[in-house]
Amino acid sequence: MHNKADETAAYLEKLVPRQAGKWKAEIPGDVYGPETIFDYIDGAGEVYRSYNFKRLLAVRYAKSGGPDIVADIFDMGSSEDAFGVFTHDVEGRKAGIVNDSTYKGGLLSFWKDRFFVSVYAEGETEEAEKAVLELGKKIAASIPQTGERPKILSLLPDPFEREKSRHYFHTHLILNYHFYVAEENILDLDNKTECLLSVREKSGSLYILLLVRYGDRDRARRAFERFLESCLPDADEQNAARTEDGLWTAARNKGPYLMIIFNSPEQKFGLDVLDRWEKMLPREKKDHEPVV
Amino acid sequence: MNKKNFTRRDFLKAAAATPLAGVWKSGLGHGGMQNEEEKSRVVLIRDKNALVSLKQPDAGAIQKMLDDAVATLFGEKNVNDAWKKIVEPSDIVGIKSNIWRFIPTTTEVEQAIKKRLLGAGVIGENISINDRSVRSDPVFQKATILINARPMRSHHWSGVGSLIKNYITFTPNWPAWHGDSCADLAKIWTDFSLKEKTKLNILVMLTPLFHGIGPHHYSQKYVWEYRGLIVGRDPVAVDATGLRIIEAKRREFFGEDRPLRPPAKHIFLADTRHKLGNSRPEKIELIKLGWKEDILI
Repeated sequence: MHNKADETAAYLEKLVPRQAGKWKAEIPGDVYGPETIFDYIDGAGEVYRSYNFKRLLAVRYAKSGGPDIVADIFDMGSSEDAFGVFTHDVEGRKAGIVNDSTYKGGLLSFWKDRFFVSVYAEGETEEAEKAVLELGKKIAASIPQTGERPKILSLLPDPFEREKSRHYFHTHLILNYHFYVAEENILDLDNKTECLLSVREKSGSLYILLLVRYGDRDRARRAFERFLESCLPDADEQNAARTEDGLWTAARNKGPYLMIIFNSPEQKFGLDVLDRWEKMLPREKKDHEPVV
Repeated sequence: MNKKNFTRRDFLKAAAATPLAGVWKSGLGHGGMQNEEEKSRVVLIRDKNALVSLKQPDAGAIQKMLDDAVATLFGEKNVNDAWKKIVEPSDIVGIKSNIWRFIPTTTEVEQAIKKRLLGAGVIGENISINDRSVRSDPVFQKATILINARPMRSHHWSGVGSLIKNYITFTPNWPAWHGDSCADLAKIWTDFSLKEKTKLNILVMLTPLFHGIGPHHYSQKYVWEYRGLIVGRDPVAVDATGLRIIEAKRREFFGEDRPLRPPAKHIFLADTRHKLGNSRPEKIELIKLGWKEDILI
């Protein structure tokens, strides 16, 4: 079940410090893969599988008279997926460990290079919080590369590009977790499609923008048509429809991309967002995919 | 299972039809007929002395809570008479537990059940307590009766960890049941012939978790000492009752109606889609015993 021998696991072991404050690591830690993650994580295991995760190293730190601290280091295989799994839950205050790091309720989360890191104190004390943050800093320092955020982030139009609440993911399981679209996978999402969901909260309303990049134009076109057929059968000539809650949903397809705006209070606002997005797309070359 | 593809538009139509009720709770959008059978009896029992500490139940108090609840559920004065309605001495019994390390079923609850099974004449070697290995457990493989006991907690992928969900370990491929926030977990009960064998469901509400964070979806900050058990024959009715308490606690803690994310729709679909039991309060006969302070329901 636990494979401590593989190379990835050995590398992960090198990233964790043996001590933080008065907490000492119980080495070796436990290693899990996509097939065994449910032995360790009951609930969110499906999240990491949806982001193509490779290995997880879990190390427990103990101190007499203090709560245990657990460091979970996920090798996600790519910095895009490490970033993505970090964006699954963006609540919390900035932790200042790396650019994308949060702290809340004894839990520190950040991503760096291809790694997503979670450090958690099983009880909240001031000393434990300091140790959690120290541990996070040490782990971050031991990861030499920074990694890059997904390039698709540059294709979010105003005003959604400014939102903190952005979720990068691949599958319809994660889409439905953040925003329920349909029980079936009508958008034909899989572990290789790139999806970006941006949530803009304004005056008590939630505007939702979904951008999907498919591997090819035909697939994007088919997904667009299926979405219209399933969710917007009453769409007008601009592929927009007013839904039962009085808000507007509009969709557009361009090359390998699909963009949908949900919950727009006015049709014009939604269509303007789609227009702005379309102008941002790289110019297509004949017989080639646009490159972002 | 005959179901249409449920889309956001169906959800909005249902919400428009039932603006004050949860869409999943209404069962609308699935065309599901409501169950016509009689009400499901559910017993909620609480004892102020049920816990020695957060992680340590009091064995004596737990035994008494279970005894009082089971006797009331079956309408018997004597708990042994109630257990005779559940098992016969020749039965082979699997106690389906839950070992989640943060909030397990607890040894005290498991042993309280086992004690009454032995008292009803079931021989010790025909009783097994298991969670993750039920498929390879010889007693579970031959079981004629199942007792289902687990804690309720908020859950990252299914809204709450429930009695219905507790049977996922009877299946060979857990991820196969994870689609659409575990919507169809109740189907496990019929697909794996578990519905008829299950004679008692015990939802442990000693220290429920009402909100979660991080990979493990746990923080002690969101655990409270409710010190209760919910017992019934209908797992859906018991889960629905536990869920109402979790939702009430969330409203109290957050100071606003903050729905579980994702919604625990598998409980309501167990009623409207899979006909496993009753989820609507009007179809549940809720009997409250014991400590009433901050009961939340």
